Amino acid sequence: MPDHADTLDLSRWREPALGVGYRRWTIISAGVRSLLRTRFFRVLLAGAWLGGTMIAVAGFVFSQSLASGGWLETLAIKAGPRAEALFSVLTGLVALYPDVVVHTVFTAIFWAHSFLGLWLSLIALTVLVPQLVTRDRSSNALIVYLSRPLTTVDYLLGKLGIIAGVLLLVWTGPLLFGWLLSMLFATDRDFIVYSGVPLLRALLFNGIALVALAAIALGVSSLGRNSRVTSTAWVALWLVFLVISAPPRAPRWIKRASFARDLNETREQVFRLDRALTEASAQLPLIDERLVTNLAAAGKRAEAADPSGALASLGVFVVASSFVFFRKLRPE
Amino acid sequence: MNAPAPDLPPLLRPLLPSADCIIEAENLCKNFGAQRALANVSVQVPRGTVGLLGPNGAGKSTFIKCLLNLETPTSGTARVLGVDIRARNRASREKVGYSPEQDCQIAGMAGCEYVTYCGQLSGMPFRKARQRTHEILDLVGMGQERYRLVDTYSTGMKQRVKLAQALVHDPEVVFLDEPTNGLDPSGREHILKLIGSLWRDLGISVVMCSHLLRDIERVCDRVMIVGHDRLLEHDSIAALKNRHRRIVEIGPASEPERFQAALTQAGLRVTRLSNGKLRVESASDSIEWVLELMRTHALPPAEIVSNPDALHELFIKAISTDHA
Repeated sequence: MPDHADTLDLSRWREPALGVGYRRWTIISAGVRSLLRTRFFRVLLAGAWLGGTMIAVAGFVFSQSLASGGWLETLAIKAGPRAEALFSVLTGLVALYPDVVVHTVFTAIFWAHSFLGLWLSLIALTVLVPQLVTRDRSSNALIVYLSRPLTTVDYLLGKLGIIAGVLLLVWTGPLLFGWLLSMLFATDRDFIVYSGVPLLRALLFNGIALVALAAIALGVSSLGRNSRVTSTAWVALWLVFLVISAPPRAPRWIKRASFARDLNETREQVFRLDRALTEASAQLPLIDERLVTNLAAAGKRAEAADPSGALASLGVFVVASSFVFFRKLRPE
Repeated sequence: MNAPAPDLPPLLRPLLPSADCIIEAENLCKNFGAQRALANVSVQVPRGTVGLLGPNGAGKSTFIKCLLNLETPTSGTARVLGVDIRARNRASREKVGYSPEQDCQIAGMAGCEYVTYCGQLSGMPFRKARQRTHEILDLVGMGQERYRLVDTYSTGMKQRVKLAQALVHDPEVVFLDEPTNGLDPSGREHILKLIGSLWRDLGISVVMCSHLLRDIERVCDRVMIVGHDRLLEHDSIAALKNRHRRIVEIGPASEPERFQAALTQAGLRVTRLSNGKLRVESASDSIEWVLELMRTHALPPAEIVSNPDALHELFIKAISTDHA
């Protein structure tokens, strides 16, 4: 133990303090780093980036339809006359109607990926919720933050940043990575041009989900000082309400009480897969009547039942969660 | 650095310019519902080492929390280091450190990681924060334990790491709420030495809240006594002792009866304490007259203590007067 009765051997720090942006970033990076240390989250991350790779693979394979003499054509020829004919039809459709075909295919790819992204984000948040505010409340760490040059809003933004970082790692990152990789090997500029709108729609849904999930996760995390309580509350709000709102005859208010269902409906409204499929069935010169009917029926099924109700409900969730957060965010 | 606090006039005399004050409060009130925790506290506290005394529930911690904006004052204004806590919320804590009474660790972090993180939260670049962290952890007496998770620390280690996080960003003033709670005697000695040298060596003002009057008396040069939601006393310890009746305690090495007889003969009222010491009320602060008496009566050597427990008596008096 050093004796410092006479003098203190200590360097001084008299430089101007770094700005509030840096301090918020400190909260974010520490939160994400602590999550990355857990094995479960690393496995989750591997799954998410595998999903991104699948987008790249799907986009790449699709873009090969225009490559004359490419490996897809060679494969189709090897597979027999039926496959060769199908390949020729696909090549013709992409060449003649790139706007409709590329738009529809990429809408379907991103729509499918949004399921994976959303579920992985919800699972990641199940791990993250007890670590956000609950842990700080139970260990009195709120005092550590709020006795420093930080306000409640800085703390909130820091914690929101952690959630944004997690969603970026498990959802947005793989999505953009998959799209970029598939476009890197695209055989035609049309793939980049006509996949742009579906990508923007995917990012829009990503943004909506980020705002809603971040607010709900923070609200639930600040509900109690016990990790089990907040984890249970999160799972109940997500899975239990999703299950009880599943029956078609369930009352409307129960359907709206499930934020996962609200997000599903919002997804249908944002991606407009129904419109893409209906337009494809109407505009493409498909000879097979059954294929046309199936496309139109699939489009009908993908239609959102109550998009405005779902959005309003998500809005209520965000407001209520913010209220809980600010009410509970006091050092005890 | 050697900058003792100036001898200032007592409570409620607002003569100091803001630059010389660590705390300026004016009619600061805090209510929790119908319960009043602070009532019209007005005070100017100069730089230096200040003790904050008061019984349980007197409002000491509430006062500190109000100054740090951890609790919103119901009314009144306050400045810390000349910065208005309400108007410039964030800036008022730029140069302030706080070690709360209760544990406040961030679970899942190693000790040095935690202190570095706290430094960064105060705006220190990572490298500088890490360097200062190791220096401060050395100072508070933490060895290799700094690489262990804070969740596994003993009470004493938690106390040390709390002090380290309060000091890592080189604050101008540090608020310490019961900093020696849970420390073993050697640890307590070590931390008290460190706290005492903060102002003397580094010019870091200290506001120390404690129930242990001896700790306050040893470390601080000023004291504030809070009781029943109000500030009852604020002055330098020397001035407070001067206001107190003069007491001398004499512990004779032998022949206590001769001592008692000599003192009684000199016209003094003598009280014999249970530990064998003799307590007499003196007319002055000086103990010269005791030495003279011992020479005259050829008395054996004795331990002589002037004004023992003066702060304790003053504290009790302040509290009971207010209560009455």
